[in-house]
Amino acid sequence: MKILTLWLALLGLAGCTTTTTIDEYRSSNKQLTVATNDSVVLLGRRDAGHYETDAEFVDCVGNKLRSSQLQVIPEQAFMDALYPWLEPRTAPKGLMRMRQLMQEPLVGEAISSQSIRYFVWLDGSTETLDKGGSISCAAGPGGAGCFGFAKWDKASIYEAIVWDVSDYSEVARVRVDSEGTSYLIGAVAPIPLLTPVKSDACKSLGKQLQSLFVAD
Amino acid sequence: MFKQTNFSQPIIGLLSALLLSGCSGATRIQLESSFPALLTEPREVRAAVIMSPEFSEYIATPNKNMTLEIGASQRNIFEKTFRGLITEVVFVDNLALIEEPQDIIIRPSVVDVQVAVPSENYLNVYEVWIKYNIAISDTDDNPIDSWFMPVYGKTASSFMLQKDAAVGSATTIALRDIGAKLSLDFYRIPALKTYLDARWQETAP
Repeated sequence: MKILTLWLALLGLAGCTTTTTIDEYRSSNKQLTVATNDSVVLLGRRDAGHYETDAEFVDCVGNKLRSSQLQVIPEQAFMDALYPWLEPRTAPKGLMRMRQLMQEPLVGEAISSQSIRYFVWLDGSTETLDKGGSISCAAGPGGAGCFGFAKWDKASIYEAIVWDVSDYSEVARVRVDSEGTSYLIGAVAPIPLLTPVKSDACKSLGKQLQSLFVAD
Repeated sequence: MFKQTNFSQPIIGLLSALLLSGCSGATRIQLESSFPALLTEPREVRAAVIMSPEFSEYIATPNKNMTLEIGASQRNIFEKTFRGLITEVVFVDNLALIEEPQDIIIRPSVVDVQVAVPSENYLNVYEVWIKYNIAISDTDDNPIDSWFMPVYGKTASSFMLQKDAAVGSATTIALRDIGAKLSLDFYRIPALKTYLDARWQETAP
């Protein structure tokens, strides 16, 4: 019993860790100034064919930025205010298209009225890379239980691209790459040892983005 | 005296109920989404949009285990979209209810609805395609064009998201795509563009 407990404890410690790498690129060494009335908007990219940047992740990063006193406009509210110009089919992929869009009187007014200074585009997903082991659960007149062992590797890869709307320039790119393995042990009761890969990616990306912006 | 409690019966009952509900597999998704108004400048056109009761109460069956009640939501988004694209637009159930002469008469209809779930597409997303036919006719109801318009929506699969909620979310995104697609392409439909250009020249002072 002691050996099993020790083994589970070791597995818990080793299994629940993530490896997170952050790459950052800035077009200059200056921090990005945000005036008192200025706002930042975070938007997910949703035009890729095989994955979707989920709104939950965009909200999570937005909440991290809000905690540093930045004014962050909620994604869905902003998409609704500019409907249909930020839908997957119509969202600007590049700065040239963004400039064209801003020249549309109604769109330009809507963005100005919310004092948006920076657009942060989030692109990426969390995927299961590998699965192994097996676990089976059974129930009978004498009781029920799960036996076996399963593990899976997950990776969260996200990139944030920051556009400055005042001069239509790309000012920074931050990429976060977080990997980890989760386990499920069936020892009568199923014991999950989950690695919060996505949550770790959100925290790391949020923290890195916080360091980019400075209140003016 | 020690009394032994038998836990097996409730567990078996629970598992049986779970199995029965799991095997039934029928998903009924009722969509009652509301959509924002379009941020577009409408053009000087008079139009009637005919949305029949069948269209407004449309229930799609993309496969034998799934029904998608999209009628009310698609009516809502078509109304919002055409109000954003056309200055004078009326919405009626049938042709007989049009009271005044119009530049164009529009009849949207659903041609096909398809749904793909992660177990079918081997991706981490739920996908919904809706193919519409937009039949456009002139003042006297002579056909101008019959334009097929596919719209698409997808939503990421996640551990906590149930299948019906995920398909519902993908359908809402597909319906939002109606506004995007029509804003970009409605006035670029060649036959419609030619017809409206000619009509504006006729009526120009």
